[in-house]
Amino acid sequence: MTTEIIRTESISKYYEDVRAVSDVSLSVRKGEIYGFLGLNGAGKTTTIRILLGMIRPTSGAAYINDVKISAGNTELWKNVGSLVEIPYSYPELTVRENLEVFRRLRFLPDKRAVDQIISKLQLGAYADRKAKNLSLGNNQRLGLAKALIHNPQVLLLDEPANGLDPAGIFEIREMLHDMALNKGVTIFISSHILGEVSRFATRIGIIHEGKLIQELDSDKLEALCKKRLIVNAKDLNLAQAILTRMGYSAEKNAEDLLEIESEEAIRNPDTISTEMVNGGCPPTLLKVEEEDLETYFLRTIGAEGGVK
Amino acid sequence: MKFIFVTIWVESLKIRRSRIFWATVIFFILVSSMMSLVMFVQKYPEISAKLGMIGDKASLLRFGEPDWKNYFRLLIEGMSGVGLVGTGFVTSWIFGREFSDHTIKDILSLPVSRVYIVISKFIMVVLWSVILSFVYFIFGLLFGLLVDLPGLSSEIISANGKIFCATSFLIILLCTPVAFLASYSRGYIFPIGFVILTMILANFSGLVGLGPYFPWAVPGLYGMPSGAVGMQLNIASYIILICTCLAGFFGTIAIWRYADQK
Repeated sequence: MTTEIIRTESISKYYEDVRAVSDVSLSVRKGEIYGFLGLNGAGKTTTIRILLGMIRPTSGAAYINDVKISAGNTELWKNVGSLVEIPYSYPELTVRENLEVFRRLRFLPDKRAVDQIISKLQLGAYADRKAKNLSLGNNQRLGLAKALIHNPQVLLLDEPANGLDPAGIFEIREMLHDMALNKGVTIFISSHILGEVSRFATRIGIIHEGKLIQELDSDKLEALCKKRLIVNAKDLNLAQAILTRMGYSAEKNAEDLLEIESEEAIRNPDTISTEMVNGGCPPTLLKVEEEDLETYFLRTIGAEGGVK
Repeated sequence: MKFIFVTIWVESLKIRRSRIFWATVIFFILVSSMMSLVMFVQKYPEISAKLGMIGDKASLLRFGEPDWKNYFRLLIEGMSGVGLVGTGFVTSWIFGREFSDHTIKDILSLPVSRVYIVISKFIMVVLWSVILSFVYFIFGLLFGLLVDLPGLSSEIISANGKIFCATSFLIILLCTPVAFLASYSRGYIFPIGFVILTMILANFSGLVGLGPYFPWAVPGLYGMPSGAVGMQLNIASYIILICTCLAGFFGTIAIWRYADQK
């Protein structure tokens, strides 16, 4: 039996004539990592802010653990950690003091919680440094430390990889993956980079212009990416004629190579190669090219740059 | 109670670690020293002449005989101006910086009510303002002793001390609309502008005889000697001031509690 931890019911948020979020219904099950994808301004942050009770939806409702989210429902936040956009901390306080503030505001009795999270996020070298003197990456780590200090069961993260170097991104990704897999933490994570999120999200929702346009399990994502057979030959016109004779639609692409989208052709490049050799036009290139995740994402939202 | 203790501790830590606190203390000491300087110039006109412009201006101000009675009056009048600016600035900083530093988003989704956060911020405004008033008065006394003004007695300290405390109290009550504006405008520039505007309007309302009905003029009029025509406070003056305070207080809570935090 699966348990829905995060649920929204047709939430919409309008600012005068701007539809920031429109009729978004989604659910995230326990232990799931839900990658919430969209371009800048698509409605990701608005949705996360609704989930955090920071803004009220114009219509619809959102729930965490079946409790309706509202600003006054403070009990709800005991098991929720969050990071919204660029993390900011009190600039005059040190890393340790900033975390001590959150330890107290979360009423954590164990004073070691601060040291433990400093160690976990590898902030030891900066523990006594004022937040205003931290690099962007370390500020991001401090933001994550604030979100994780109380070992929450639900995590709402808005672009958590901002400012992190590749090693940092990998480290955080592994940590989140471990939390979801081994501790049953439910993670809702927004990003505009599909390639990054798809590596560890178990489910993906794509939001565009305020609307949730697609939801899918990430293991099905690969299957949805378009594949093409790319063909090159010394005499491209002859090659095209042979391929047409075989019943394939081969179009020249921008790089002056022939592209075939037929699944049969993709499955049988050896047959095509044989026919071309027999037709006196042996291929100089024959490869199956798979659309990458970013292209799929852009195609899905119909944005410029995507493969239509 | 644990909620309010925690939020007060958090607010106090932010203030203790900031340089702004000490800057305001120094500012109030400086203003208090300037008040004593006026008396000094009055008491020693020969030095006043040597000081050129400062001496001329101080003489023109004519604060009466350079004694403790007039000095206290000057200190209290000064407080009604600098206190409004000081408390207004402190309030703008305490409330506005959460928005300008973008730290507001981290303190909204916590297992502690936003109302407690707002109340502890107000408590810190009160404590900070009381400290500044105390510093201003104590240093005023010390500078007065240095100038060696005549007519000091425990009665005069007590009587003026009470007026000073009441003036400071009325000023502190007016912090709430500033907090509201800091929260509404999500920063501290707008409320500081508002404080300056209230100072101008307080003077203007006094000129046209509406001072007793303009909340920001009330603290200044409280210490006025009786007999000043059109400057006497009445029950309506205090009711308007308290209503302004309550409107600011509940307005601030409403903003934190109900407004969208974009």
